[in-house]
Amino acid sequence: MRPGEPGPGADPHTLVGAYVLDAVRAADRDRFEEHLAGCETCQAEVRGLRETAARLGAAAAVRPRAELRELTVRAAARIRQLPPVTDDRADERPAGRRPAATAPAGPAGPAAGRAGAGRLSWLRPRGWIAGLAAGVTVLALGAAAAMGVAMHGAEHRLDMAQDRSGAMAKVLAAPDATVLTAQVSSGGSATVVMSHRDGALVFTTAGLPGLDPAHRYELWLMSPSGPVPAGMLPASRHGMSGPMVISGLSAGDKVGLTVEPAAGSPHPTSAPILMLSLS
Amino acid sequence: MARGDEDAFRQVYDEAAGPVLGTVRRVVRDPAQSEEVMQEVLLEVWRTAARFDPQAGSAAAWIMTMAHRRAVDRVRSEDSAARREQRAAVATIDFDEVTDAVEASLDRERVRHCLAALTELQREAVTLAYYQGYTYREVAGLLGVAVGTVKTRMRDGLIRLRDCLGVE
Repeated sequence: MRPGEPGPGADPHTLVGAYVLDAVRAADRDRFEEHLAGCETCQAEVRGLRETAARLGAAAAVRPRAELRELTVRAAARIRQLPPVTDDRADERPAGRRPAATAPAGPAGPAAGRAGAGRLSWLRPRGWIAGLAAGVTVLALGAAAAMGVAMHGAEHRLDMAQDRSGAMAKVLAAPDATVLTAQVSSGGSATVVMSHRDGALVFTTAGLPGLDPAHRYELWLMSPSGPVPAGMLPASRHGMSGPMVISGLSAGDKVGLTVEPAAGSPHPTSAPILMLSLS
Repeated sequence: MARGDEDAFRQVYDEAAGPVLGTVRRVVRDPAQSEEVMQEVLLEVWRTAARFDPQAGSAAAWIMTMAHRRAVDRVRSEDSAARREQRAAVATIDFDEVTDAVEASLDRERVRHCLAALTELQREAVTLAYYQGYTYREVAGLLGVAVGTVKTRMRDGLIRLRDCLGVE
């Protein structure tokens, strides 16, 4: 027995973490897989931990150089695909459909709706923000694109982000979601995706001029009974801010934006640089 | 390759390439080699797509498992001394390089939050293995703790992450 090798009584199951993290040498890997083959509990645990490790990986995502995309697609065109292992149903399916049906295609792809194979499963299997991925309709995708992916800079505290993204997803996925855009008088623009049905909207900006540290942009819901503070705009990243969610809208409301002392004001203290009618 | 296949593969590429490349880069470090591994992984996904079994887990987990293992195999086949030297300079986990994907940025925040909730030993054991490709024995040496402890911490740490991330 080599030093560090577990004794004969050691439970191979303790290796499950190291195995999932690929932190094992070939010998350990083989030994564990042998154990795994006969242990259903372990298989279930490996599944869950693999999904977890995949999230660690997804969190490290970087953008590949654009050229690589077509290079890879062209390379794929020269590679023959393996047929499915189970062959009953394979004969009924045209060969060309297989990759689409089994690989993680987008929500509009042929894989949509298939358990484990849709976009849903790519980053977030019914997780904390499932709605953002799962609830997207074609309309919402359009809406999200119109937002310029300004949501990218979301740098709020996490617990807030969690609630917020649920609300956001709901608005973006609403069947009556509409996109409104307006220029901000001091420069830049604001984009709103709103749902009358949900009485809620998602607000983002792009290209607003930077402010000195003593000031920030404050968002208002201008209701017939007067302005209601709707929150301070998060610091902008790459010139974009947001998204912010405002709910509880009623007919005739407007959204306004002013420059306020950094701590925020209970009432607007400067002239609005944006006033967007929501009807 | 039929037109529809090409489009389906592009969709897969668009979702998977960023996470795959990011993961591989953490482990392999060298940008050119990382791109190679990323392409290999995507092509392997293409080649074996028909054998993907949704019962065994999500497509993401399938692809990322493949990516991580290939990255690890790549560095372990290199001279380990050279590799250690290279590692010394990059001991920190940074989240600076970002993609545009909304989900990616929210995920990153969530993962960062959940990693912070681990004990220090759990976090180090998990990240040294996953993001830097060390074996549990190497991690034990680096951290100066018993091999058995590292194995346990890797498992505890992952379980805690799983629960924090709401993975089913």
